[in-house]
Amino acid sequence: MEELFFIQHDVIPALWRGMIVSIELIVPSAIFGLIIGIIIGNLRVFGNTIVAGIANSYVAIFRGFPLVVQLFIWYFGLPHLGIYLSPFVAAIVGFSLCSGAYHSEYVRGALLSIKKGQLLAAQSLGFSKMKMIISVVLPQAFRRALPGCGNEVIYLIKYSSLAYMITCIELTGEAKIIASETFKYTEIFLIVGAYYLVLTSVATWLLNRFENHLRLPGFDHYST
Amino acid sequence: MVEKEPVLRVEDMTKRYGQKEVLHGASLRVNKGELKILIGPSGGGKSTLLQCINFLVIPDTGRVWLKGEEIIRSHKRDLYAYRQKVGMIFQDFNLFDHLTALGNVTIGLERVKGMAKKAAREKAVAELERVDLRNHISKYPAQLSGGQKQRVSIARALAMDPEVMLLDEPTSALDPELISEVLSVVENLRANGMTMVMSTHHMGFAREVADEIVFLEDGCILETGSPDKIFTHAECERTREFCSKILELYGNA
Repeated sequence: MEELFFIQHDVIPALWRGMIVSIELIVPSAIFGLIIGIIIGNLRVFGNTIVAGIANSYVAIFRGFPLVVQLFIWYFGLPHLGIYLSPFVAAIVGFSLCSGAYHSEYVRGALLSIKKGQLLAAQSLGFSKMKMIISVVLPQAFRRALPGCGNEVIYLIKYSSLAYMITCIELTGEAKIIASETFKYTEIFLIVGAYYLVLTSVATWLLNRFENHLRLPGFDHYST
Repeated sequence: MVEKEPVLRVEDMTKRYGQKEVLHGASLRVNKGELKILIGPSGGGKSTLLQCINFLVIPDTGRVWLKGEEIIRSHKRDLYAYRQKVGMIFQDFNLFDHLTALGNVTIGLERVKGMAKKAAREKAVAELERVDLRNHISKYPAQLSGGQKQRVSIARALAMDPEVMLLDEPTSALDPELISEVLSVVENLRANGMTMVMSTHHMGFAREVADEIVFLEDGCILETGSPDKIFTHAECERTREFCSKILELYGNA
């Protein structure tokens, strides 16, 4: 009985507060990450040698550095250069850039899957390269990239828990505080795990709906 | 007779891929309303020549004039404008998979020509009607037969109001039964005065409708002449050999 009271009055409100912060971190990071991924993916595929080289280096660095290290650099490192980011902003910057590097790989794969013939057809109609990418390539590549990009969003939901390492107190951060005050690690982190499970389940459901919404004949594997 | 300025003039096209020279200084003059048919063995350079004409493949040397005006490839704007005037039909259709038949035709009108949505739609519907696809305008490529897809691609090219059309073996990816529906569209175009350069293996069709036949082998134009000349008394030994083999295979029809 006492246990239940504790959970209702201390744990739930704190975790709820944390979850709101988590969502505030995840949503913009997912959107910025996807935008960065689409841009970088296109530069890697359609850019000239120099541009593609720069984009490739970006991906190599941001996929190669551990995310925690990246967050430490944004939060603890940048002040040495006179740039001060709040924990919240530093976390979003870190997540977006890292997520963008991963997204760009899914986008790149999808871009390469568009048959060359369609590019020739667009060019033969007088499309410029830019217009061709926007009107012909991206609408198709985006559909093909979606399952992979969705996967990256699910990952993002979970690695958003690293934000507390740079003092941005989100879901895991709140849990850590209560747990260390009460020593009820098992109970609290089981509840936290369930919260993340709910978040990822909702995200999966939304992503599936979005995928279905964009489904076209010829872009699915069911016969129509 | 007055010397006519050809609609399309191609001079001295050369293209090599690494060691292999696929085009060997090919030249063409195509007059208004003329249907020129390229024949020759596969790998002989027909596709490369057609794709070099609108610079989908960048030739190593060679110049192109459309209605007397030379195309300067490095002027992007001019190049895009030129490509609008040269319709291209591909062997494997190359429709945009994410768009309906109608969308495939309107996209060029809207995005390249900057036409308003409604006008583009009207024009696209008219073009699709011309190739007998009135009832299929809202289908996606995955829902169309090969012959229908090729006709959509013809409508897509026609919608841009081209001065000349390049057809790269438009029927070679089709089932035998569907070939005639595409060939009859080409015949119709010709009857309506469209200028065309087409590569094909249909000798019967070539013989019947071509104004001039060009025999291309190993990147060289070996012989040019009227269908009658090429098929009955070709000068070049290789032309005779090729034609008789193909005619044997497909019959005279």
